Amino acid sequence: MNYLIFISIVFCSNLYGQQRISTIKNDSLKAELLDEVIISATRTKRQLSSLPLPVTLIPKKQIIQSGTLRLNEIMNEQTGIISVSDESGFEGIQMQGISSDYILILLDGVPLVGRQSGNLDLSRISVGNIKQIEVIKGPSSSLFGSEALGGVINIITDTPDNSSLKGTISHRHGSLNTQDSNLNFSQVIKKLNYSLFTNRLSSDGYDLFPNTTGQTVEPYENYTLQANTRFNPNEKLSIQSSGRYFHQDQEVSFDNSDQMITGNNKINEWNLQLKADHKISSKLTTQYEFYHTNYLASEKTITSTDNSIFSQNKFDQTLLRPEVRTNYSFSAKNTLTSGIGWNVERLDRTTFDDPVSFDSQYAYLQYDFYPLDNVNIIAGARFDRHSEYQSQFSPKISVKYDITHKISIKTSTGFGFKAPDFRQLYFDFTNSVVGYTVLGYNVAIAKLKELEDLGQITNFEVDINQLQNPLKPESSIGFNLGVSYKTNKLSVDINYFRNEIENLIDTRVIARKNNGQNVFSYTNLNDIFTSGIEFNIQYKPLQNLQILAGYQLLYAKDRDVLKRLENGEVFARNSETLQTFRITKSEYFGLLNRSRHTLNIKAFYDIPSWNTNFNIRANYRSKYGLFNNTDGGNDILDIHDPFVKGYTLVNVSATKKFYNKYSLQLGANNMFDYKDAQNISNLIGRQFYGRIEITF
Amino acid sequence: MKTTKLITVIISVTLFTACSSDDDSGNIIEIPQQIVSDKAENIAAPQTGGQGEPTGGEFTKFDFESGSVTTSNTEWDIAFRGTTIAINGGTATGTNDEPERNGNVSVAIVTGTFAEIAKAPAATEFYQDQNQVFAIPTGSGNGWYNYNFMTNTVSPIAGKVFVFRTRNNTYAKIEILSYYKDAPANPDGNIDEARFYTFNYSYNPNPEDTNLD
Repeated sequence: MNYLIFISIVFCSNLYGQQRISTIKNDSLKAELLDEVIISATRTKRQLSSLPLPVTLIPKKQIIQSGTLRLNEIMNEQTGIISVSDESGFEGIQMQGISSDYILILLDGVPLVGRQSGNLDLSRISVGNIKQIEVIKGPSSSLFGSEALGGVINIITDTPDNSSLKGTISHRHGSLNTQDSNLNFSQVIKKLNYSLFTNRLSSDGYDLFPNTTGQTVEPYENYTLQANTRFNPNEKLSIQSSGRYFHQDQEVSFDNSDQMITGNNKINEWNLQLKADHKISSKLTTQYEFYHTNYLASEKTITSTDNSIFSQNKFDQTLLRPEVRTNYSFSAKNTLTSGIGWNVERLDRTTFDDPVSFDSQYAYLQYDFYPLDNVNIIAGARFDRHSEYQSQFSPKISVKYDITHKISIKTSTGFGFKAPDFRQLYFDFTNSVVGYTVLGYNVAIAKLKELEDLGQITNFEVDINQLQNPLKPESSIGFNLGVSYKTNKLSVDINYFRNEIENLIDTRVIARKNNGQNVFSYTNLNDIFTSGIEFNIQYKPLQNLQILAGYQLLYAKDRDVLKRLENGEVFARNSETLQTFRITKSEYFGLLNRSRHTLNIKAFYDIPSWNTNFNIRANYRSKYGLFNNTDGGNDILDIHDPFVKGYTLVNVSATKKFYNKYSLQLGANNMFDYKDAQNISNLIGRQFYGRIEITF
Repeated sequence: MKTTKLITVIISVTLFTACSSDDDSGNIIEIPQQIVSDKAENIAAPQTGGQGEPTGGEFTKFDFESGSVTTSNTEWDIAFRGTTIAINGGTATGTNDEPERNGNVSVAIVTGTFAEIAKAPAATEFYQDQNQVFAIPTGSGNGWYNYNFMTNTVSPIAGKVFVFRTRNNTYAKIEILSYYKDAPANPDGNIDEARFYTFNYSYNPNPEDTNLD
């Protein structure tokens, strides 16, 4: 009986949706933990705690109180998620030990494009108009297709909920002359509502190595504009459109053989989404969605002595995607979700001969049901047909069993994949200084013949005919098993995860050139796994105090390296005695850029009588290897290699509201001024800021 | 046990070498049955060109029988120039200024610690230089070294032992320890002087005897 009541409460809140939830949220007298609604996990509205798979939700309140500006900052404070720079300095998010290449980033349910060496830089996204961020961990290709191999981050932007004209204007000034301004307004006029968001961010950047030419991060300036409108002609139909524009200008300056090179780097990004929601009957709803995005990055540099052009690069990517989804509710608890869509992608890039395009069609089906009152099962699968690689079928099943009101077990197993990207297939790049060449897989044969005809190839390292078999997509199987305990004041989640990833695409030498350099190309090379335990606690010991803590234990290793270790084929050299010794399995640390331990603790404290909130947030990451240091005699990361030291960053901020209209925020990031210039280029020292916001 | 045995060999050989060098006979090894284990230090291997330019310059030749560098055009087994190692067997590779192959040297690349490679592998494991291809492959991660672009350092791959069948049909094994002058601990490619080989070697002077320990 109790279960029934519990389920019906969950379900009712589902029906009332957003409205009901936001009233709960505003009720600050309640000392209870909130249970928010999440949409990315199932593509239907679901209560966060009812979901059978590992999901994290970051609400607006936390984003605002934490005083973050860009998405990467707030993501970096979540359990098991870190913002990392790869060895080339490109930044991206890592989740459950899976790198940015394999994490799909959605903005209001549709994907962002424009990755650098596979990394999607989340500092492109201003958090100023984000309602909530939904994070699904583990393979999610059963709903989202390619790139959702390791998980999905969905950024949900604000929707207007008030009939009067509402707006906020804010300005923040901080260290490094960082200026961030926001102007936000929204209104509901009968059947029409709209919102407009504008953001400008500029900074002088910083320099960790003042003795070298150029700064570590050069001055930049960017603008974000986003407009949403929604029109509800009748109860059954809702038509939405949203457009986003992002523009960034950044200076470039560096030294090349004692010549000063200067220039600038521009990013222009467009996202346009049109959506119609049609409630055909009480059981059947259909969504029609059209999405178009373009990401254009261009860089031009000149040699300062004679103003000649030093380099000119362009990266121009477009995605066009129509999709139709339907939800059919057989009964109150059973929902069938289906969708079909079509992706048309195009990339024009300086290192490509011609613009290249991909074309793929997909269909997915998901059934969400309760075979028993306390058992929820979500089973789904997706089929992707692609013009350039073999078709993919990605099933997933998730089960949740409520043992009592408070304790549940959840488990999910799913497949994920990532299609070879444009670079891996079409790259054609020769380093003008050193002389090596990197070729995309699909153009390798033709390009090698060209080089051979020019007499530049001395020998082939692989059987060229084998390159005719298409490159396989990288694929994964993810398993999660978790237990959660939830009361009004305390919620504890423990989750074990394991992701087995196959056919990772990496470069290898395919031929040697007569200048002594190599020709590299991409191939399916490694099998890796990431495995660990995630632990999350939310605790409200007092009405006004909320403590969040999270820990992740991670093991991320390469299967081929493990095999070599088993065969006793890996050695190291003692750097003092030059003595060689055999490396054992236990001396293998694992993949690069993975920390064994990450920990975060956050405390938010409200003083209602002062209209003030304080918070302190600490994030720890244990030691990790940054690049394959071969100085120790091998190409794996073993415990004898040098590591980047573990570190903790502490951020604090305080917000005070005046007369309900004004709010003042003061804060410090990296309070203890931790720096490691040699290894971590995105770690700035201590920074202070002050922000003022006016609501109207 | 093996290590003890090796150490004994090294010690006895070292003592012996020290004594014999006094009489200036020019032939260090007096007892032919004995396997010689020694360390060759600071063998300079200069090179011109590189960095995208064609490489050139004379190779530095080494002779296992005498255990020393030689300028002889016939009595040599292996030769060094920069990170490239040529052997006196097979055909010209086509690189500039390379020595003429007039011996029948071949090389096998064996994985293991230097001490545990007690016997030369089967004949099928041995290779010779040929047109465009060195028997010890060139390039980072291919042959004997890794190049670390972050530290600009060339480091010998640990556990790579090169077994040679020499021009005298005898067997020898080497393990390269360092590419930098005086084999410093933790070399820095930007500071330490490169193109100086230091390697351990064992030489069995008995023809056709594959024992190396």
